[in-house]
Amino acid sequence: MCRIGQEPGPHDADNEDDEEGPTAAFAALLEDSVEELYENAPCGYLSTLMDGTIAKINGTLLAWLGQERDAVVGRMRFTDLLTVGGKLYHETHFSPLLRMQGELSGIALEIKEAGGGRIPVLVSSVVKHGGGGEPQLIRTTVFDARDRRAYEEELLGARKAAEQARKEAEADRARLQDALAVLQQSLLPDSLPSVPGLDAAAHYRTASPDRLGGDFYDLFPIDADRFAFFLGDVCGKGPQAAAVTSLTRYTLRAAAVHDPDPVSALTTLNQVLHERYTGGDPRYCTTIFGTLAPDPATGRVTVHLAAGGHPPALVLRGNGKTEYLPTPGGLLVGVLPTATFTAATTVLEPGDTLLLYTDGLTEARTGDDRTALYGDEALLDFAADHAGRSAQDVIQALTGLLDDLGDGLDDDTALLALGAPALTPRTEATA
Amino acid sequence: MNPLQTTIRHAPTGPVLEVNGDLDYTSAGEFRALITALTLQPGQRLVLDLTGLEFCDSSGITAMIVARNHVHAADADIALAAVPDHTLRVLRMVGLDQILALHPDSEAATRP
Amino acid sequence: MDVERRNNVTVTGNPSGPTVVLAHGFGCDQNMWRLTVPALADDYRVVLFDYVGAGRSDLSAFSEDRYASLDGYAQDVVEVCEALDLRDAVFVGHSVSAMIGVLAVGRAPERLRALVMVAPSPRYIDDDGYRGGFTAEDIAELLASLESNYLGWSAAMAPVIMGNADRPELGEELKNSFCATDPDMARVFARTTFLSDSRDDLKAVAVPTLILDCARDVIAPREVGAFVHQAIPGSTLVTLDATGHCPHLSAPEATNEAITDFLARLP
Repeated sequence: MCRIGQEPGPHDADNEDDEEGPTAAFAALLEDSVEELYENAPCGYLSTLMDGTIAKINGTLLAWLGQERDAVVGRMRFTDLLTVGGKLYHETHFSPLLRMQGELSGIALEIKEAGGGRIPVLVSSVVKHGGGGEPQLIRTTVFDARDRRAYEEELLGARKAAEQARKEAEADRARLQDALAVLQQSLLPDSLPSVPGLDAAAHYRTASPDRLGGDFYDLFPIDADRFAFFLGDVCGKGPQAAAVTSLTRYTLRAAAVHDPDPVSALTTLNQVLHERYTGGDPRYCTTIFGTLAPDPATGRVTVHLAAGGHPPALVLRGNGKTEYLPTPGGLLVGVLPTATFTAATTVLEPGDTLLLYTDGLTEARTGDDRTALYGDEALLDFAADHAGRSAQDVIQALTGLLDDLGDGLDDDTALLALGAPALTPRTEATA
Repeated sequence: MNPLQTTIRHAPTGPVLEVNGDLDYTSAGEFRALITALTLQPGQRLVLDLTGLEFCDSSGITAMIVARNHVHAADADIALAAVPDHTLRVLRMVGLDQILALHPDSEAATRP
Repeated sequence: MDVERRNNVTVTGNPSGPTVVLAHGFGCDQNMWRLTVPALADDYRVVLFDYVGAGRSDLSAFSEDRYASLDGYAQDVVEVCEALDLRDAVFVGHSVSAMIGVLAVGRAPERLRALVMVAPSPRYIDDDGYRGGFTAEDIAELLASLESNYLGWSAAMAPVIMGNADRPELGEELKNSFCATDPDMARVFARTTFLSDSRDDLKAVAVPTLILDCARDVIAPREVGAFVHQAIPGSTLVTLDATGHCPHLSAPEATNEAITDFLARLP
C-alpha cells in the first residue's frame, strides 16, 4: 500500500520501539533497496515541477503508459498524460485546489496509454515545500482503478436501471391516477345543476389515496317541475366498491325517470343489486333518494324521500330549529330479494336547508386516543349552529369540520345540502 | 385494535360461535371464511354470541349478511345473541334488526 | 424573476469606483476569481456571479433550451447588468466566458464598455487551417465521458476534499463547494462550450479589448490567442508567462497587473 506524502522505505512497517531488532532484519529481507521499491511499487509515482513538467517517474507508471523514460522526463507535463476531460478537470479543480490546500487525494482521472487506451486511475498529490516555505515540486501517486471503475460502472448500470424502473413506475402510476380520476368523475357529478328556487351545494372527502370512493350523490331533473337527488354509501372499498357505486348511480337515475316515487326507485335499485351480487360476495349500499318540487309562488320546496339503511337526513330550519328527519326501518339496499324502505316528507320553507351525509362524518374517530366517535348528537349540535344559513355556507362549515377531524376520518364522506333560498335580502347565488 | 378471536361450541340447536374483539375491514375476511366453512343441517340454528364484540364496522355487517346467506342456503337459521349497544345501533340503522333474530344472551338464543 | 438570486450575484469592492464584472468559465464558479478580487477591490466595484448550474446559482432556473447556445448565457450577463443597472462596466471573462462577453458587449454596449478575455478560445476543435487544440475525437470523448460517466467525472466534479490544517483561512464552505457544478447542467454547458464556433463574432467587437493568453496553456494553444487578437480590431494581446488554463490562479500577480494596467488606461 502506497502512502501519500512520504518516501517509501523499508522501515515503513516497523515497530518503532525496536528499530534494530528482528523486525528490521525481516524488513530488509523483504525490500533490498528503497530505489527498487520506488521503481516497482504497485502504484505509479510521479514528481513534477510546479508548472507540471515531469521530473521523476517510476517504472510502474511508465509501464502503464507504455512510454520510455526519456520521452517523458523533462519533456511532458502531467496534463499531457490526461484525457481532455482530465485536462479540464485538472485546470479547473485539481490544480487550484492543490495550490489552495497543498494536497489532494483520491481524484478520479484517466491516463492515456501510448497505444491510445485509457486507464482509470485515482490520483493523490502533495506539494513539497523548500526550507523557506516556497513550493518546490508536486509529488503524485497514481493508483490503478480499473477494477474499481468496473465496479463503479456496474453500480452506474444498476442505478440507471433503477432510475428507468422508477420512471416507468411513475408513468404507470400517473396513468393509473388519470384512469382513476376519470372513473371517479363517472361516480360523481362534475358540478351540481342550477335549479330554479333551490340552493344546492355538495362536498366529497375521500379517505383513501387511490381516490376511488364508495360514497356517491347526485342531483338531476326528472321533469319540468321536479328534480331528484340521492346520496349513499356502498359497502367496501376500492375498485369493486366503485363498480357497485357506478351501477347504483345509473340504476337510480334510470329508475327516477321511470317512476320518481322514492320507494319505487329504491325498490328497483334493490332488485338490481340483489340480482347482480347474490351469493357469497354480497354488495349493498345505504341510500337516501328523494324528489324536490320548488314552488316559485311561495319559495317553498316540497321534499319526498325514502331511505334504506342510511342515517337520517337533517333539516336546518331558518328559525334556528334543527332536527333529524327519521326514516327508521329502511333496510340496506341489495341484501334481500324484497326489502322495505321508509318514506318521509317535509316542506322546506324559505331559509330551510336539508342536509344529507354519509357515516364517514358521524363515525369519524375523535378524542386524543381516537376511540370515541363523532356521533349523531355532535352533528345535530353543529348543524344547529348553522341553521338559517345557505346551503353553501352549511357545506363550507362542514368542510371545515372535516378538516378539523383530520385523520380521524376513516371512511369517505359525502355531503349534500339542499336549501330553499331565504326571501329577505340574502344574496347567495344558487349553485 | 383488538384481534378477532372466535370459539365454536355446539348446542342442541346447532353451532354457537363466540365472537371476541374487532370485526372490521382487516378481520372480516377471515371471519367470512370461518362462517362459510361451517356445515349446518336443515333446521339448525347458527348463533353468533357477540358478548365480547368490541367493534364492528360495515365489513363486519357484511360478514353477518354472508353468514345469513350461508345458513339460509342450507335451510338453516341464524340468530345473534348479546349484541353490544354500539353494534345494535348500527344494525337498527341499516334495518338488519328486522331480518336477524336478536336475543339477549346465548342461552335465550339456543332455546329450541 | 430575481436575476441576482438566479445568478448568485455578489457585489464587492469600492462602491464608488468603476464597475468590473468577473465571469467564470466552464466547470468553475465565482470562487475562481478569489485571487483577482483583492487586486481590484480598492479601486473598483467588483461584480461576481455564477452561471445557472454552477456554484450557488438557482438550479431551478436551468433551461436546456436557453443554455444550448452561448446566447442564453450572454442574455444572463445582460440581465445581470440590467438588474444592477450597470453603465460603462468592464467585462472580464475567462475561457468560454470571454466569448460570452463578446456577445454581451454587442447586445448592451451602453452597459459594457470594454472587454478582458482571459485564455479565450472561439473554437476548440481544429479546423481547415485553424488550430484550436483539440481534434473532433478529443471533444467527442470529453462529451461522451460527461454523458456516460456518473461516478467518474461527476464524482470528480465534487471531489471529497481533504482538510487543511495549515490554511485555516480557507473556510470549510469554500473547500466543500469549490467550483461545485451540477452534473446534468455541466453536460449542457460542455456541449455548448466545446461545440460552439464563435470565430465570426470576433470582428464585431467594437470596444477596447485586452486578450490575456498563457505561454503554456493546456487547453487553448498560443495560436488561438493570436487568432483572437488578429480578429478583434484594435485589441491588445498580453501573453503571460504562465502554465495552465487559469492564469488568474496560477500566475495571479502577472494576471492582475495586466488587468489593472488595462483598466487604468481606459479612456
